[in-house]
Amino acid sequence: MRLSFKNIFKSLMITLLLLILCEILSSTFLPFMGFTNFKIPFNVIIVLFLALRIQDDGLPIYILATQLIHSIFSNEGWAVGTIIGIIVSFMVSITKDLIQFSSAFVTIVTVQVFQIIWFLLMSSILCLKMGDFSKFGTIIINFFPESIVLSLMSPLFFNLLSRIWLKGNSIGEKGSSHVW
Amino acid sequence: MIKNVLRDYSRPKLINSIVVIILSFFGLATQNYQYSDSSLFEKVCLELFSPLQSGMTQVQSDVRNFFDNYFNIVDTRKENKKLTKKLDRYRNKIFQLQQIEKENKRLKKLLQFGAEVELKKVMAQVIGWDSSNEFKLLRVNRGLAQGIEPQSPVITMDGLVGYVYKVSENYADILTILDANNRVDALIDNTRVHGILEGSFDFYLTLKYVRRSESIKQGDLVITAGLGDIYPKGIKVGVVDSIEKESYSLTQKIEVKPTVNFHKLEEVVILTKNDEVVKE
Repeated sequence: MRLSFKNIFKSLMITLLLLILCEILSSTFLPFMGFTNFKIPFNVIIVLFLALRIQDDGLPIYILATQLIHSIFSNEGWAVGTIIGIIVSFMVSITKDLIQFSSAFVTIVTVQVFQIIWFLLMSSILCLKMGDFSKFGTIIINFFPESIVLSLMSPLFFNLLSRIWLKGNSIGEKGSSHVW
Repeated sequence: MIKNVLRDYSRPKLINSIVVIILSFFGLATQNYQYSDSSLFEKVCLELFSPLQSGMTQVQSDVRNFFDNYFNIVDTRKENKKLTKKLDRYRNKIFQLQQIEKENKRLKKLLQFGAEVELKKVMAQVIGWDSSNEFKLLRVNRGLAQGIEPQSPVITMDGLVGYVYKVSENYADILTILDANNRVDALIDNTRVHGILEGSFDFYLTLKYVRRSESIKQGDLVITAGLGDIYPKGIKVGVVDSIEKESYSLTQKIEVKPTVNFHKLEEVVILTKNDEVVKE
């Protein structure tokens, strides 16, 4: 999907605002519900959407922008997520012919698969950075509940983000014409 | 495969990707997870979004407090009910213990009384009154199984109650001295004057067959004479309440008030000659 600069800027701003809203809700309401060890990584779903659905020259920059906003709400920083986001977008390019967003279930499975890749890479880089691989297991264990919640939410998010990004543009360059 | 991927990537996208990755690696290399200096962008964003987070946290805190208070009130109410029930149970228990203590004291006195009597003592509890006969017959929870025999005398620490009138395996009926059918051979303690005590109305006894010439005073103690082979000698029966000397009669009409308070009778001691008394 190739978009005009005007649309890109507008869509990117709306997406970042959505991310801010989600991050605020996630950082306030989840602890309120008692989930103090978990935080839904909304940046991941946005980056995955961008990687999977947006074929634009500025994709690395959109990923960077998303990660910069995410870094305000997280100690994780922006760099790791950006590197992984770009790697994932490479992987999507390799497997793009296999991915058909024909149903919500496919979307959930696809997002879950790429999340696994994401978190494996993320855990590896973080452990490498800290020079301590003993926390690798803990990071992975913490990741699973979050990733499942995020995958289940992905059809809704993909629908919403499609409306933001693809409004006024044709849909379906990658995958089917369904907006999942 | 890499060639295919790179072919799909436009030159600007590839350049963008490389630049961003290099930048990211630089950022990663310089990032300190223990301490971080905020950039201007981060400072602005923090100042901008933190009040929102703070507001949300305040809202959720208020909501949490509201629900916490609500549940606290509900819990307190439940706890209050539980504690009230518990308190009632303990009050009841205390009452029962007080009753047991009183009973214990009474029974101790009861057993101490009549220590000089050479008969076996069986403690019995009053379980019923013959209401049709103005409490002149009472039922106790001891019978043949506990060694009670017919015509065994029944006493309390205050004095004579009556004798066993009817006995079954585990229960016995006692004919009290208040009953007109129960006659007790008695004597005035200080003058040793003999007479026959008979039950009358209003929980009083009448001492009969005392000669007119005998000097009887109000308040004189009346005890059993030990004749008739039912009551042992020397058991208190009552005190002289009133004396009436009629001009035409040879005897005096003496009213005796029983020493036993029949209105408050709870336990009695049955004296029996039976050696096979079952102690419980």
